[in-house]
Amino acid sequence: MLSEERIAGAVEDAIRAVLADRGEAEIAFDATTALNAGIGLSSMDLAMLVAELEATTGLDPFARLVPITEVRRVGDLIEAYRRAAAGEEPAEDPGLAAAAALAQRRRQGRGTG
Amino acid sequence: MSVPPVALISGGSRGLGAALVEAWLAAGHRVATFSRSESPTLARLLADPATAERLHWHAVDAADPDAIRGFVAGVAARFGRVDLLVNNAGIVHEGVLPTMREQAIEATIALNLTATILLTQACSKLMLRQGGGCIVNISSVNAVRGHPGVSVYSATKGALEAFTRSLARELGPRGIRVNTVAPGYFESDMVAGMPAEEKARLARRTPLGRLADVQDLVRAIRFLASEDAAFITGQTLIVDGGITC
Repeated sequence: MLSEERIAGAVEDAIRAVLADRGEAEIAFDATTALNAGIGLSSMDLAMLVAELEATTGLDPFARLVPITEVRRVGDLIEAYRRAAAGEEPAEDPGLAAAAALAQRRRQGRGTG
Repeated sequence: MSVPPVALISGGSRGLGAALVEAWLAAGHRVATFSRSESPTLARLLADPATAERLHWHAVDAADPDAIRGFVAGVAARFGRVDLLVNNAGIVHEGVLPTMREQAIEATIALNLTATILLTQACSKLMLRQGGGCIVNISSVNAVRGHPGVSVYSATKGALEAFTRSLARELGPRGIRVNTVAPGYFESDMVAGMPAEEKARLARRTPLGRLADVQDLVRAIRFLASEDAAFITGQTLIVDGGITC
C-alpha cells in the first residue's frame, strides 16, 4: 500500500505537471488551496490529473469510492487517494445500490452478440 | 522506424469488427480487440506470425465493468497507448416493445450503451495522457429512422450519437476527435437470416441499388480515423447508400 506521504507527493507532482503544461509552474499551493478558484484547474484539467495519477498509482478513487464533486481543495484530492489506497469501500448509497443491483441483473441477463 | 499506432476495436470476432481488425492489421497497425469468445478469423490472425505480434485479444464479457477496465489496462501494458477506439460491439434483440422481456431490454442497454461508455472512459484517460486520439462509435440507421421491432436497439444507438456530440465538445480541446458511423443494412450475420426477397426489397429502396458491403463501412471508418478527417468531430456519417435521405 502506498504511504500517505507518497500519495501526497504523487498528487502534488501531478498538479505541478498540469500547471507546468500551462506555463504556470510558479503557482504555489498547499492542502487548503482550492483546485478551481485557487490554481484554476478546469474539470478537464482535473480529468487529466486523475488519468496521470491512475497511471502512476494504479488507483482511481472516482470510479466508485468518491464523487468528484466532493473534491474542491488539494487536500480533498489527497484524501481521496488515501482512501483508495487504504482499500476503503464506498458508503452504501440506496440509489447507487439499486443501480448496482440492476447492473448485476443485466450481467446475468446478457443475450447473444 | 516509427512505432505503429494502436487501434482498439470492440467486438472483433466477426462481422464488421473482424473486418476492421483485419483492415487495421493489414495497414501495419497494432490492434487490440475483445469478444466473448474466439472466432475462426481471430484464431487465424493470432496464429499467423505476420499478425500475431501486433494483435492483442482477450475473451471479455463486456457487461462486466471490471473486465472492460482490465482489458484496457492490459492494452496499455502491452502497447502503451490507444490511438483509435472503435466502439463496434453491440447486440440486437428484435421484438416489439410490449412483449419484450425485461432481461432483453436490460442486456441491450448494458452492452450497447453502458459497456461502450465505460470502455470509452477507460480509453479516454489514455488518450488524455498521450495528448490526442480518435473515437468512432458505430451507430445505425435505426437511430435516424424508425423501424418496428428494434425500438430498444434504436434507443441505444440514438443515445450513442448524443454521447458522440457531447464527448466531442469535452475532449476536442485535448486533441481527441469523436465521431459516429451509422451503417444501413449491410451483408453481415445480422441480416443473414433475412429472406432473400426482403433483402431485394431493401436494395430496391436504396438509391445506390444494393445493401452495403462491409468494406463500405471499413472505408468510412478509415476516413474518420485518418488525418483527412482532422477537422471533423461530433458528427455522424451515415453509410447507407442513401436509404435515409
